[in-house]
Amino acid sequence: MRFSYYPGCTLKTTATELERSALKAAKALGIELVEQKEWQCCGAVFPLVRDEIAAFLSSIRSLAAARDAGEKLVTICAACHHVIKRTNHLIKTDTEVREKVNGYLQLETSYLGEGSVIHYLEMLRDELGFDELAQKIKQPLTGRKIAAYYGCLLLRPAAIMAFDNAENPRIIEDFLFALGATAVYYPYRTECCGVYLSLNNTQIATDMVEKIVSSAFSYGAEALVDACPLCHYNLLELQKKTPQGKPLLPVYYFTELLEEALGLKEQTAVRKDRK
Amino acid sequence: MSALEMVDIYIMGKKYMVPASLTIMNAMEFAGYELKRGCGCRAGFCGACATVYRIAGHYELKVGLACQTRVEHEMYLAQIPFFPALKAFYDIEDLEPKASSISRYYPEIYRCIGCNSCTKVCPQDLNVMQYIAHAQRGDLYRCASESFDCIMCGLCASRCPAHIVQYYVGILARRLYGRHILAKSIHLQQRVDEVIEGKYTAGLEALMAAGLEELKAAYNNRDIETEPKLCLG
Amino acid sequence: MSIPVRVMYTPQMRELIKKVEETRPSRLGIDFPRMTPEERQDVLKKFHPDFIESGFRPVKIGVNKGDRVPQELADLLEAPSMIRNVELDLEKINYDVDVLIIGGGGAGAAAALLAREQGVEVLLVTKLRFGDANTMMAQGGIQAADKGNDSPLIHYLDVMGGGHFTNIPALVSNLVNDAPLVIKWLEDMGTMFDKKEDGTMITIHGGGTSRKRMHTARDYTGAEIMRTLRDEVMNRGINVIEFSPAVELLLDEDGKAAGAVLYNLETEQYLLARAKTVILATGGSGRLHYQNFPTSNHYGATADGLVIGYRAGAKLIFMDTIQYHPTGAAYPPQILGLLVTEKVRGLGATPLNIKGEQFVHHLETRDVESAAIIRECNGRKMGITTPTGMVGVWLDSPLIDLIYGEGYIEKQLPAMLRQFARFDIDIRKDPMLIYPTLHYQNGGFLIDEYGCTSIENLYAIGENSGGIHGRNRLMGNSLLDILVFGRRAGYHAGLKSKEVKQKKLSLQHLYNYQREVEQSGSAIVDRVSPVLVPHYTHREALGLF
Repeated sequence: MRFSYYPGCTLKTTATELERSALKAAKALGIELVEQKEWQCCGAVFPLVRDEIAAFLSSIRSLAAARDAGEKLVTICAACHHVIKRTNHLIKTDTEVREKVNGYLQLETSYLGEGSVIHYLEMLRDELGFDELAQKIKQPLTGRKIAAYYGCLLLRPAAIMAFDNAENPRIIEDFLFALGATAVYYPYRTECCGVYLSLNNTQIATDMVEKIVSSAFSYGAEALVDACPLCHYNLLELQKKTPQGKPLLPVYYFTELLEEALGLKEQTAVRKDRK
Repeated sequence: MSALEMVDIYIMGKKYMVPASLTIMNAMEFAGYELKRGCGCRAGFCGACATVYRIAGHYELKVGLACQTRVEHEMYLAQIPFFPALKAFYDIEDLEPKASSISRYYPEIYRCIGCNSCTKVCPQDLNVMQYIAHAQRGDLYRCASESFDCIMCGLCASRCPAHIVQYYVGILARRLYGRHILAKSIHLQQRVDEVIEGKYTAGLEALMAAGLEELKAAYNNRDIETEPKLCLG
Repeated sequence: MSIPVRVMYTPQMRELIKKVEETRPSRLGIDFPRMTPEERQDVLKKFHPDFIESGFRPVKIGVNKGDRVPQELADLLEAPSMIRNVELDLEKINYDVDVLIIGGGGAGAAAALLAREQGVEVLLVTKLRFGDANTMMAQGGIQAADKGNDSPLIHYLDVMGGGHFTNIPALVSNLVNDAPLVIKWLEDMGTMFDKKEDGTMITIHGGGTSRKRMHTARDYTGAEIMRTLRDEVMNRGINVIEFSPAVELLLDEDGKAAGAVLYNLETEQYLLARAKTVILATGGSGRLHYQNFPTSNHYGATADGLVIGYRAGAKLIFMDTIQYHPTGAAYPPQILGLLVTEKVRGLGATPLNIKGEQFVHHLETRDVESAAIIRECNGRKMGITTPTGMVGVWLDSPLIDLIYGEGYIEKQLPAMLRQFARFDIDIRKDPMLIYPTLHYQNGGFLIDEYGCTSIENLYAIGENSGGIHGRNRLMGNSLLDILVFGRRAGYHAGLKSKEVKQKKLSLQHLYNYQREVEQSGSAIVDRVSPVLVPHYTHREALGLF
């Protein structure tokens, strides 16, 4: 099983643990993720303007390169996945953008949206299969009570991302089940974590994080798991700012748990110190 | 020179007839320009003679180094001997070899919109956009090695809609890489220590005092390090 | 790199290349014998341009009166000053600094850094852009004896032998002993030398070296050094003024150096810079095209520093010896004279005649190698004639990939590959056609170990100094000498400037010199000097230079 792989800048700088564990696990699962020879920053935010095509170029270059390689494009970072998936949808559906982008890029073969981009979790679910994954688990996370945190970027807009049921997703819970862990359901698992406010309005974002953590805690979670470097940063950093006496939870990337369950490392360290 | 093939070129819009075999630089001189700006090493190393041009009937803007590019018929050209670019001032010693050391001085690298104009305009055929991408994610090795052949002509910066000065990013990355990541040479440090201790002072004095015949004999009889073994495969 | 398969070589040349290809297998791995000392002397005397008498004449005035110098240089030394009719008020100082450095190449930049380290105010002025210099073009490498099988003593022998034992011993001693310090200095500034993973320098031979001590940075060695130094000079906030050559030196009432008259190339204004110490680092004179040779030199190499320093009374040495680089491009005509770096031979490419036969060891010293190529073309008539009538010999570059493996040329000689590719010649597959090119001025101002000239407070470093290399310089010792003596002079001039008491400025030396010119009865009247830029309009542009 072989895919083109788009890492994104965050995985090369602040979220190196996410990439390291993801690649290690993929290798153990017999999945070949080939980093694209050339790729540039996706822009991190999907632009809503249509008269400015530049912000779509990076995504299209990567999608076209994967198409030329005859492979699906795999992402790990939720933000990159969001941008590339929506760009792919846009170029498929908006004639004007499609023409402008191709007119500018002058690729050998025009790109019309025929490629496909999938997130690592989708790769596990749809390409490998969670049943198959469960077969390969060496150290099941039996008895571990873990709460999935989805965030926004992978789920919405629901029709375009087509990642899972946006109101009531289950992909991460199914993933946890495959690993042998107990998934904790709680009301705030698809709420926004407020990361886009965390620098210029920290208090609002801190309140949002506090609600998510307290909610998961009250339903019995021992840890949170996520798939987004932005949420991950926010959940970890802003927990440190929540009022004394509020519950604290460690936060893992889903790939760290995968790595552990595949027997590739010792139990994931607990990280919840309040500083 | 009777059979000399001539072409028409337009230097900043003004027409001149020049031999077709000339480079842009020689053609400008042939036309009567005595160059002060826009001329340096005349060998493709210094980046002084960045030139933009269009050929009549073609929409595309082309670029080249005037000293390395042949004239073409109906070439409309202008030189860009200087382009405003702000260089950051830093102490290379104090910086750590990571992305933040670059973004601290050149935060605009994150404004890159991926238009690739810099790559298209590079007369050295460097993948400029890609080396900026490497800088963004702190891959200094790739940024340094992919920007290594840069002659700092400034054409990339002249075309960048995100206001990035790519060649200054490149040299900062190369110096960070050369200073902090590339392994230090141990034999060099050892020799430096020996020189500072004065290990060779007496030997050099003896050589300086040696007679001509003695020196000649030593020179003619010195052993010469051999060539590497050939790989004939 | 992909190179279009348009063939730049003519069908006739292509036929001749077949002979090169035929003999290649039999030449691979065979080391052509080196010449005996007698053979070397013989070929030099008969074919080296330094021995062509019509190229030289005695200079009629000044401290070197009667000495043999190239015709073209003598004409400039005896020409009227550029400022002969300019009214200057020597009381109106535009720049008042401690150390004035004239020249923005590697030597000037190194001197600026070391002078600044002494805590004094430094001004660097340069004729063109900062960094526009032969330093930028030096591809081959920089020598330093820093490996276990080498030592400064062995380096000393190579330098002296290369210079035919005419070098000034004390300067050579400084050159070789400081060499490792210079490399270390560059390494600490982040210069990207070619290294193995463990940090061991990848070093190769150059012509006339007995150890592999040539340090490289791909084939952009000089460019990499120059841009690093330039970046550092800018980081240290040193004042640099571009497009402002010095057109005369200023002395004080005691005849000590005290500044320079600057000329803004663009506004044509004259400006005065006063300084306590002055460093001349203006490079060489290749653009004077001695004996009509093409040159590998930078556009600005017009002997300006020699002219103004000589008028001020600084003594010259070895001005009758010029280095011709054996491998200048002879084809295509657009790049005639362009340097084919010695690294190409250092990596194993050999010169061949029209029959595809080697006629000289590929790593003789530059003067011997050049003379042997001139002999092959002019004496033995075994050269290859191009459509423009230029004659040259092959340099069999494809050997390199055979020796080191495919891809080595692309990795080690990207600049060379690119330059020939621009004219549709793929040097990985086909040989280059080469002929000696005017490359380096062996002579210059007589200096001591700190670059001091015979005029107090006046220093000279780099190509406009003489004596370090005697009558012939080895590859890789020029990048070295500009840095060794640039650092030494910068250091010394910085310290010395603290002791200098400023006095009234004077141009009396110039008036005296002009009088001497007039009295000699042979004043050159059709030009002024320094010339600043070569005059290429209309005539020479036909691809000659």
